[in-house]
Amino acid sequence: MSASLLFFIFFALLVLSLLLWASRPSKHQFTPGMDVFEALSQSRHCYRFQQIMQALRPEDTEYLREIGQAALMHTLRQQRRRVALTYLNCLEQEFETLLEISRTLAVMSPEVIAMEEMERWKLSVAFAANCTFLKWKLRLGLPPFSGFTLLSSMASSFARQLDTATTRIAEATVRDAQPSAPGHQNIGGV
Amino acid sequence: MFVQLARRKFLDKYPWFSIYVASTIVQSAVVASAYRIYDVPNMAVWKIAWGSQLIVVSLRFQAVVELTRRILGGYLGIWALAWRLLFTVGIVVMANSLLFSKGDWYWISLNVERGLELSIGATIVALLVFARHYRLPIQRLHSALMIGLCLYSAFFVLDYTLLEKHVQQLAIFWGFLSILTYLATLLIWLNAVSRYPQPAAQAPPPVIPKELYGKLSSELNLRLHLLNRQLTQLLRSEDQQR
Repeated sequence: MSASLLFFIFFALLVLSLLLWASRPSKHQFTPGMDVFEALSQSRHCYRFQQIMQALRPEDTEYLREIGQAALMHTLRQQRRRVALTYLNCLEQEFETLLEISRTLAVMSPEVIAMEEMERWKLSVAFAANCTFLKWKLRLGLPPFSGFTLLSSMASSFARQLDTATTRIAEATVRDAQPSAPGHQNIGGV
Repeated sequence: MFVQLARRKFLDKYPWFSIYVASTIVQSAVVASAYRIYDVPNMAVWKIAWGSQLIVVSLRFQAVVELTRRILGGYLGIWALAWRLLFTVGIVVMANSLLFSKGDWYWISLNVERGLELSIGATIVALLVFARHYRLPIQRLHSALMIGLCLYSAFFVLDYTLLEKHVQQLAIFWGFLSILTYLATLLIWLNAVSRYPQPAAQAPPPVIPKELYGKLSSELNLRLHLLNRQLTQLLRSEDQQR
């Protein structure tokens, strides 16, 4: 089989598969009325990061084995894995909300920055891959506890960074919110 | 198809698409006449056939551009980004197609056409993926016309690639496959043009100042980065523990 044959067949099949995927009816639609700032001010799950990790410390469950309650320890670990999975789902939701906001902004903007859009796309791909990998690790019962504990110190600084970012968004909005051009509608106070 | 386009008053709404449909009818008539006049296929018939085919494929490309503009034209920022991206996709795919066809210069016209068709298919798919990413609504009529154009392009590439080595011996069978593909595409378009209502004029989307977009966009990226880093650190710390 020649390289040419493989290239064209592979590419044509790729085009057909992507066409099939992209032409499915979409569950989400662009919502021009979306209130960007309300969405931005929604509660952030990363703030619960520390508590989640505290609950997942191996020491919290290890003592049960020492006192001969291995079965209870396993049950507890299973429950905590479920908690971690729920936490990951919430993080995923938060990420999706931020992406949704950025899409709305891009659609409403008369000019978009290609590099930032590309960066966002790369981030969304990386996040989806990491999240799926972690979820499977937890589902398969691979050691989830040790890894979580190392992050406790990181959690507070992460929350601080998020706070700074949100404050900057609010400041930028207050500074830049001006009446829009004639004929153009303004949205959500933006 | 052309009658239906005229009946539904789509001719002036989609001029390039209508011209493309008309051109396929004219091309069939021209090539059939050439075969009748020259009796035995010769260089003149070959030139007429491929010359007219080049015009038809160019018009297909124009029809795709017209539909793309209809779908994305209302979103200024997105359109500015999309046309550059789609143009790049088209050029890259076309260049790769020609590169992979190297050595078959005797069949240059067919290879160029295959490259153009693949390029058209890739551009349409990139547009649909792009619109899906930004959650942009696509009217059902536009979607069906694009799907028809893309299916024809993809099947043309498949048909030609599979029969490439035996295209002379299997010329009749290849012609039959091409007609079958075109008829299937025509049925999709006919169904769309007959059933779907004329797309209503969409109100322009609300606009925000571009400076505000720039600031919010980078801040949002920062937040996305932080969330992503949280996950990455989680994964790395797990590896370090082992």
